[in-house]
Amino acid sequence: MRDLLTNLTQAAADRCDYADARYVRSRAESLATRNGEVDEVERHESEGVGVRVRRGGAWGFAATRELTRAGLEGALQRALEVAEAQPGAPATQLAPEPPARGRYHSPCDHDPFEVSTEEKLGVLLAADEGMRGDPRIAVIRAHHLAFSEDSVFASTEGALYEQRTVDCGGGVSATAVANGETHVRSHPASFRGDVARAGYEHFAGLALAEHAPRVADEALALLTAPACPDGRTTLLLDGGQLALQIHESVGHATELDRVLGGEASYAGTSFLSPGDLDDRRYGSPRMHVTADATVAGGLGTFGWDDEGVAARRVDLIRDGVLRGFLSSRESAAGIGLERSGGCMRASGFDRQPVVRMTNVNLEPGDAGSLADLVAATDRGVLMETNRSWSIDSRRLHFQFATEVAWEIEAGERRRLLRNPSYAGVTPEFWAGLDAVCSADEWRLWGVINCGKGEPGQTMRVSHGTAPARFRDVQVGVA
Amino acid sequence: MPESPLDLAARALAAVRSGDGAQATVTTERSLLLRFARSHPSQATAIDDRTVELTVVCDGHAAGATTNRTDADGLAACARTAQEGAEATARSRGDTDGSPGPHPGFPAPGPLRGHAGHDPETALLDPARGGTALEAAFAAATAHGAEAHGVWTAAETETAIASTSGVAVADRLTDAFMKVTAFAPSGRSGYAAAAATDSKALDPHGLAERAAVKAGFGGVAAEAPHLEPGEYPVVLESLAVGELITWLGLLALNGLAFAEGASALEGRLGARVAAPRINLSDSPRYPGTLPRAFDLEGVPKAPLALIQDGVAHGLVHDRRSAALAGGGAESTGHALAPGGSPDGPAPTHLVLAGGAAADERELCRPIERGVYVTRLWYTNPVRPKETLLTGVTRDGTFLIEDGEVTRPLADLRFTDRVLGVLERAEELSARPVLTSEGEFYGRRFATGVVCPAMRVGSLRFTG
Repeated sequence: MRDLLTNLTQAAADRCDYADARYVRSRAESLATRNGEVDEVERHESEGVGVRVRRGGAWGFAATRELTRAGLEGALQRALEVAEAQPGAPATQLAPEPPARGRYHSPCDHDPFEVSTEEKLGVLLAADEGMRGDPRIAVIRAHHLAFSEDSVFASTEGALYEQRTVDCGGGVSATAVANGETHVRSHPASFRGDVARAGYEHFAGLALAEHAPRVADEALALLTAPACPDGRTTLLLDGGQLALQIHESVGHATELDRVLGGEASYAGTSFLSPGDLDDRRYGSPRMHVTADATVAGGLGTFGWDDEGVAARRVDLIRDGVLRGFLSSRESAAGIGLERSGGCMRASGFDRQPVVRMTNVNLEPGDAGSLADLVAATDRGVLMETNRSWSIDSRRLHFQFATEVAWEIEAGERRRLLRNPSYAGVTPEFWAGLDAVCSADEWRLWGVINCGKGEPGQTMRVSHGTAPARFRDVQVGVA
Repeated sequence: MPESPLDLAARALAAVRSGDGAQATVTTERSLLLRFARSHPSQATAIDDRTVELTVVCDGHAAGATTNRTDADGLAACARTAQEGAEATARSRGDTDGSPGPHPGFPAPGPLRGHAGHDPETALLDPARGGTALEAAFAAATAHGAEAHGVWTAAETETAIASTSGVAVADRLTDAFMKVTAFAPSGRSGYAAAAATDSKALDPHGLAERAAVKAGFGGVAAEAPHLEPGEYPVVLESLAVGELITWLGLLALNGLAFAEGASALEGRLGARVAAPRINLSDSPRYPGTLPRAFDLEGVPKAPLALIQDGVAHGLVHDRRSAALAGGGAESTGHALAPGGSPDGPAPTHLVLAGGAAADERELCRPIERGVYVTRLWYTNPVRPKETLLTGVTRDGTFLIEDGEVTRPLADLRFTDRVLGVLERAEELSARPVLTSEGEFYGRRFATGVVCPAMRVGSLRFTG
C-alpha cells in the first residue's frame, strides 16, 4: 500500500497544486446485552483509499474501495474532475509542515479483537444480572465497544506514514419506570459508556458488574426523588458532565473552520472571531484548557493528524483568556498562524478530514477531591452524568440535563434530586468557575458520537476533567 | 457487466456455512456532495462504495458482520465472523434455561410495490451540474448583498437483500438535496432547502434568493432584539414541523419504546393525543417523498396510519419489536437494520396532512404577538417519555405583530413536548412539502418528512 500511495501522489503532482491519499482499514465491534439477553453482536470492517486534491483554489475528494493501481487512478481522476467543476475560488495557502515520516501505534496492552466473544459477553451478562431484581427496572443494558484503524498516508509534499490506533470501552445503564416517571442511570458514562484509546484493559478496568447494583438502586431512587428546584445557585459538575460542557461550549467554539464561516451551513459558526486571539476573556482565571493530541489514552491521541501534522499540545485558554484555536493547515494559514494545530481528522477512508477536537482538556486545579469540594460548598447542587444536551449554532446559549443530582447544604451531600438541568451563556458560565479539583481527580472521558461535516462524520474525542464548581448558575430549567 | 447488488447478496448468502438462517444485505452508494461557504466552494466529496452485511442466526441468537471486501475471500471472512459471533452468543446463553434466543426469524417474502424513485440523469452524478448549481446560488446571494453557504448533493443508492427465508429483493433510488444558508451584512442568516429524487427539481437560484431575502429582512441593524422567555403563539415553517415530527417518530411511535414502557403513547392508543386536525401517517409512496420498497429486513413498505383526527392509531414495528410487543403485533416494515436496530424501528416516510391555510402568511394573520420560526436546531430529548425536547431556532426567527411578520428576533431556545405542540396546533398550511435536513452519516440513507407549516397556540420558550 505504501508503494501504491507513493506512486499515486507522484502521479498527481503534475496535475494539481497539492494531493494526499489515505488508505484506511477500519474495524469496529459492538456487543450489547439487554434485559438478560444478548442484544447485539456486530463486527464492521471497511477499507479503501480517499484521494484529496487541491486545484485552482478548490478541493476535490474521491473515495474508492478498489485497491488497485487502476482503482486509485480512477479516484484521483474523479477528485480532479470534481475540483475542476466547481466555480473558481481564490487560492489559499497551507501552513507549512515538515513531511510526516514514520510509524505510530497507540498503546494497547491487550487487543480487544483478540479477546473471545464469550469472555466479553460474560462480563456484560454478569453486569446485567447485577441490575436485575426489581420489576420497576424496565430496561437494562450493558455495552462493549472496540475500534481499530490502520492507515497509510502519502502526499505530494513527500509525507509517508503508517499508524494504528485501538480504542476500547463500554458501560451499563438501568432504566426505571413507574407512575409516569422514567429515569435512567449509567456507569461510567451515559450513551454506551466510556471509551479510551487503549486495549481491552480499559474495558476490564471499568468493573461494570461491581457498579451494577448501585446503578439500578439509583435509577429506582430517582422514581421517588424530589424534582430539582429552579433558581440560581452554585453548581458542581462531575467530570463526565463537565467533559460534555467543555465539548460543546469550548471545543466546538474554538474550531477555526467554524470561526471562519466554513461550517456555517451545518455545524454552525462561533461567537469567537480571529481577532479575539490573546485578547478575549473566555472565563475565570482558573480556566486553563489545552488541546492535547499527545496525552495517553485520549481518543484524540495520534502520531499525525489526517493531513500529516504531527501530534501537538496547544493552549486554547490560559488564565481564562483565549490563546489558540483548533485548526488545519488551511485555516491556520488563513489567519496568519505559523503552524496548523494538527486537528484534521476523518472518520474513515470515504470522508475527507475536517477540523476536529483532539483531546480538549480542562487542566486540574487545587480544590482537592470531590468530597473536599462538596465540603467547601455551603449550598448548591451537584449534577452527574449527562442525559441531554443542546447549544445554539454560535456555541453561546446552552442547556444540559443530567441523570442525577444531589442537593448540597452546609458542605454535605443531602437529598437525591430527579430531572436536574441547567442553562447558561458560555462566557458568563465560565466566568463563574471558581474551583477545579486536583490532579488526583483528573481523568479522560471519551465522547464517541461527535458529529460534524457533510457528508456526516462521527468522531471519537476525549476530554480530561476533574470535578469543578461554578457560581450563580440557572438550574431547574426543564 | 458489473455484478448486481442482488447477485452479490446471493453470493454472500452462499458464503454462510452454518447457523439456522441468514440474511445478506448489500448497500451501494455512489454520491457527490459539494459544499460551499462565503460564496466559494469549500469541500467536495465523491464516494463509490458497496457494503455487505451478513446476519447469521444460531439457536435463536443473531450476530452480524459487515465488510466492503466483496471478493470470495472477503465474503468468506465476513461469513465466518458472523457465524462465530452467533455461535459464541448461543454458547454464552446455553447455560441458562436452554430455550432458544430471542431472534424472531427472518421474514418470508412479501409482495413489493414499485415506485418512481430513480432518475437516470440524477444517477450520472455530473459534477458540472453541481458546479452550475453553486454558481447560480452565489449569483442570487450576491444580488441581495449576501454570502451563500450550503450544500448541493446527489446520489444513487441501491439496497439488495437475500435471505434463507426466500427474500430476494432490490431497490434502486436517487436523491438530490440542496440547502442555502445566506448571511446578510448584518450578520443575520436565512435558510432555504429542497430535496427530491430528481436533481433537476432543485432550484439553486430560487433557494439562494429565498434564503438571502430572509437574511436581509429588517434591514441593516446588526442586533436583533431578544424576546423574553415565555409562551408565545408561533408559526412553524415546514422544516421546523418536520423536525418535531421526526422526534415524535423516534420517541413515541417506536414500537420497541412502546413495548418497554418508554413511549408517550403508552396506554393512549385509541385516545386523543393531538388536535383533531392532525393526521399523520407513514406513506412510502406519497407524492414528493423519497420512496422505498422495503425495510432493512426485506419487509415491504406499506402506508400506515399513525394519528388520525388527533387520535393515536398505530406504531411502527420491526420483527423484533413486534415479537416483544406480543398480542399479534407484526412488523410494519420499519426495520432500520437487519434484525432490527437496538434503538428500535422508526418511521422513515412520515406525512402530515395539510390544512386550510393558503400559506405561512395566512397562518400568521390571527396572531397578535408571536414568533415566526424557520427551522429548529440541535434538538434533543430532555425526557423522552414525555416527548419533551429542547432546541433553538435558527436562520430566520421573526416577531409576528398584528398578523404580520414585522422584524427579526435573536434565536430562541424552546423546551416543550412534541405532543403538547400537536395538541395546540391551530391550523396547517394547505400544501405539505418534503423537508429534509440532508444529513448523511454512515452509508447514505436519504429520508424526509412531508409536512405543511403550522400555527401553534403556544410554544414554551425558555431562553
